[in-house]
Amino acid sequence: MMNIEFSFIIIDDSELDCYVTQKFLERTNDSLVIETFQNAEHALQKICETHAENDKAPTIILLDLQMPMMDGYRFVEEFEKLPPEIQKKYMIIILTVLSSTSDPNDIYRILAYPTVNSIIEKPLTKEKLITLLEQVRSEI
Amino acid sequence: MSEKIKILYVDDEPENLVGFKAALRLDYQIFTALSVPDAIKCLNSNPEIRIIFCDQRMPGKTGVDFFEEIRITHPLPVRIMLTAYTDIESIIDAINKGNIFRYVKKPWTEADIIWAIDEANKFYMANSMLAVKNDELQKAYNELNKFAYSVSHDIRGPLSGILGAINLARLIEDVDEMKELLLLMEKSVLKLDTYVLSMHDYYSLQRGELKITEIDFNKIIDELKTIYATNSKTNNVSFKAHVKQEEVFLNDIAPLKLIISNLLSNAFKYQDKNRKDKSVEVNVEVKRGVATIYISDTGIGILESHQGEIFKLFFRSNSLEVGSGFGLYNVKSALLKLNGQIEVNSVLNKGTTFKVTIPSI
Repeated sequence: MMNIEFSFIIIDDSELDCYVTQKFLERTNDSLVIETFQNAEHALQKICETHAENDKAPTIILLDLQMPMMDGYRFVEEFEKLPPEIQKKYMIIILTVLSSTSDPNDIYRILAYPTVNSIIEKPLTKEKLITLLEQVRSEI
Repeated sequence: MSEKIKILYVDDEPENLVGFKAALRLDYQIFTALSVPDAIKCLNSNPEIRIIFCDQRMPGKTGVDFFEEIRITHPLPVRIMLTAYTDIESIIDAINKGNIFRYVKKPWTEADIIWAIDEANKFYMANSMLAVKNDELQKAYNELNKFAYSVSHDIRGPLSGILGAINLARLIEDVDEMKELLLLMEKSVLKLDTYVLSMHDYYSLQRGELKITEIDFNKIIDELKTIYATNSKTNNVSFKAHVKQEEVFLNDIAPLKLIISNLLSNAFKYQDKNRKDKSVEVNVEVKRGVATIYISDTGIGILESHQGEIFKLFFRSNSLEVGSGFGLYNVKSALLKLNGQIEVNSVLNKGTTFKVTIPSI
């Protein structure tokens, strides 16, 4: 299973964060398919319109939580209303800033969604990303 | 004193009620009740009753029982017992339980009652003042909570983005790629700086007092023209400004500038990038002591359903990264301070016009 490569969707309202995450990913493998969205609604729309082939590895969604308009929570809620055959082609990983003022309940709340796989704390580093990719590979 | 203090007296003997009312009705507004149910009815329909006198010995319920009951249902009025020495045990008990403020012994003199009323009224005022202050504190505390949360997110968000970029930069060898990253980092730093500046505006608006001077709108607009000259050129947005002021206008220049420059900055910020004939227009007219300012743009517009929300703190109508959620809230606070009004007229993908009216002071 080692040679499975994933596609990625990055959803983050910050242009810099999108760029940094994308570049980190490209550094692990330069043939990855990566799409970035600064607006979660646009990402959701794209997901609805895409008909991925069944035998492909799931697409990993790296999702920021605090965004204007549609935030990460609402994105996940809307995503879970999609038909199951679409849902199972994706895996959501939260990529967000955690601070001492964040309510721990918010974290539990987002992890309680069945489609949310795990959380990575910003800022992103190469090590965090490699650990994540290993973990995801082992789960498939 | 503007209004008479409202007092309820409960006693099962009608002649006591009459005597009490006759002695005190000139200085106070007296309500009377012959029974506990009547007293509760009276309290329900007159919530501004401040002091209740009650006789201890009544058929059915004693005064102590009555006070114990209404302490929960009507906690605001101050409770005073009227009684003879024979009931002293139950009175002491009731005072110790906190059900009674004080007691006046029977037979009472007018001076006893007036003194009791004075003391009770002081107590009532202190309590209600405390309740008002408590309310204000709670509001300030809620705002602070919201503020702390948003500040920590809005400052830590860009900071963690910059940290992530530094982590990435360590791996980059290509100079052009590095430059691209630096440009994005610069944008984030500038955004953070703007955020801190508007936070400062927010605080000075909440605290400061007005400093009234003569306002020359031509001067304000000329300054802004200089500030926006570069922006107008590089982004290809035509900037027109027109001022018609023939009379003296007095106001505080700091909040006034804040209003105009925030609206103007938005007008430039939210332009439709794909449009060819981009423009921003400012029109100021001072007439009969009122300044009317129109700021129009050919920008992306504001969703109709958002137009009522845009002045709220930390509301962002747009997914563009540039907004902090402070700008229009500060505009609104500044207008509140200057006794001004704002109207918004916006069509999605066509443009937005803000109309501001501010009276001269």
